[in-house]
Amino acid sequence: MTLRPLHRFSLFAILALALVVPALADDVRLDIRSGASSRLPLKLTAFTPAGDRDAGATSVQADEVLAADLRNSGAFTVARAWEAGGAAAAASAQAEVGGKWTQRGSTIRLTGEVRELPGRQVILTKEYSGPAARWRDVVHRFADDIVLQFTGELGVSATRIAFIVQDGRTKELWVMDADGHDPRPLTADRSVAQSPAWSPDGSLLIFTSYRGGGGPQLWVLSPEARKPFLLSGRPGLNTGGAYSPDGTGVLCTLGIDGNAELYRLDARGGSPQRLTTHRGIDTSPCWSPTGREIAFTSDRSGVPQVHVMDADGGNLRRLTYDVSYTDSPAWSPRGDRLAFVVRTDGGFDIWTCRSDGTNTTRIVAGGSNENPRWSPDGRHVVFSSDRDGKRSLWVSDLDGASPRKLDTGGRKAMSPAWSPRSGATSSR
Amino acid sequence: MSPTLLRTTVIAAALMALFAVGCAKKGVTPPAAPPAAPTSPTTPGTPGTTDPGTTTPGTGGTTSTAKASDLRIVYFDLDSYAIVGAAQADLDANARILRENTALRVTIEGHCDERGTVEYNLALGQKRADSVRDYLLAAGVPAGQLATLSKGKEFPAAEGSDETAWAKNRRAEFK
Repeated sequence: MTLRPLHRFSLFAILALALVVPALADDVRLDIRSGASSRLPLKLTAFTPAGDRDAGATSVQADEVLAADLRNSGAFTVARAWEAGGAAAAASAQAEVGGKWTQRGSTIRLTGEVRELPGRQVILTKEYSGPAARWRDVVHRFADDIVLQFTGELGVSATRIAFIVQDGRTKELWVMDADGHDPRPLTADRSVAQSPAWSPDGSLLIFTSYRGGGGPQLWVLSPEARKPFLLSGRPGLNTGGAYSPDGTGVLCTLGIDGNAELYRLDARGGSPQRLTTHRGIDTSPCWSPTGREIAFTSDRSGVPQVHVMDADGGNLRRLTYDVSYTDSPAWSPRGDRLAFVVRTDGGFDIWTCRSDGTNTTRIVAGGSNENPRWSPDGRHVVFSSDRDGKRSLWVSDLDGASPRKLDTGGRKAMSPAWSPRSGATSSR
Repeated sequence: MSPTLLRTTVIAAALMALFAVGCAKKGVTPPAAPPAAPTSPTTPGTPGTTDPGTTTPGTGGTTSTAKASDLRIVYFDLDSYAIVGAAQADLDANARILRENTALRVTIEGHCDERGTVEYNLALGQKRADSVRDYLLAAGVPAGQLATLSKGKEFPAAEGSDETAWAKNRRAEFK
């Protein structure tokens, strides 16, 4: 009788180990987490343009997009051979990247090539094509394959980031490419939208909004169709939606039982299953990548603290004890770490820890830094910050060495959510 | 079955213990009638009569002229949804107006200062609105006159990032 919980624990421990081992194997290939010293030096040669007369112009831009993608991946240092002094900078390069850029009518074709140095033996060659209007996606897919070649895991250039733009008292939902290109609004409600999160296939965004006219409700829209539909507009709170990794459920905070409690809904917003029972505040739920555990914020022990529980609401425990006032948990897609915010005198810092709550590490400080969300490869964290004055979006590697600002055209931007790899931008 | 039951019981016990600690720390108003809640203010404002010097001068006993904007805004301490200090007197006054104006239906909007995350503040705003509703119910206001809504930290009354602005933004308004 008393053995059963133990059995469950052992089973879980084995499953957890099975998840951790591949992540460790990745790290052995190239430990991108340990900072700039582990970046592989690459030499980029300009693409050779072919086809229509326009090809030369887009080819030059494609060179720069590829250079930025590879640098932003965190896996490489990049020397541009086409720049003055580029050849000298590339002296230590261990691989050379280039290719042929062919534009014919409305189609772009890229034949990408990677050679090892100094032997110049081809180690990767691959064809990519797409509509000329979306030529950047063609470059992103090549960049992601180069990351795969050297790290064992596909890059994240061909993904998107959803976020919130504040203009006066209104907040609209926006989306842009992961490199900050082409920011565009998805709503125009003149209301307040908050806390977007992607469905696991990247086809839908769930968000909290006052667009219904009363209190906060959960809405869902497809970034392509842009017509929101109501997922939950129950009396009281409907906030913080998060799709389960298998897409069949949505975690959220509801007020239907008179207090802010966590619930699991089905993907259409029905069948609420209550997961917490406490008269304090329970909010900001997120799933572990296996769907077996849930991290969330609760003030049941006084001030807000990140807690973790099983997906059925059992086995509840506080995540960290060496930092206090923690909120906004986000579980790494690798499963091994969580990111969260810790309150400071003037705002929040961003920290990570192992999923068992140990090894707490501050990765971002300075200004107020909020809403950390992982890239789909678990190598970067996107967050909002007012570190340079106006609140905008930034990306940090896990070493936190030098956060990179995303250009959202000077807009006040917050609440980012990084899309999964699959979805509309990907057509592999 | 029974291990699950046992587990549930243990968790429930743990939760109750935590709950007790949480209450003690926060000084949250107990779920039953707050001790300070006036059950029957005996001064001139008994139902059906005009409360001299307040909202309905010279209306000769009619009771439907008060507006939501006549109700006082209630303020809160940092991270708290407890009704304490001046908030009690303000809500006692509001309760009197609501009892005298049975046609007056209001939405209690809970607001927060900019500190704290969007998500947490949405829940905290709801807690503040609920605290106000519970206090008014205990003070004899019929439930049908009261609705609640959280506005989180989205609609500050005062701009700025200092204690003066924050104190003005931690509030419950009546709409």
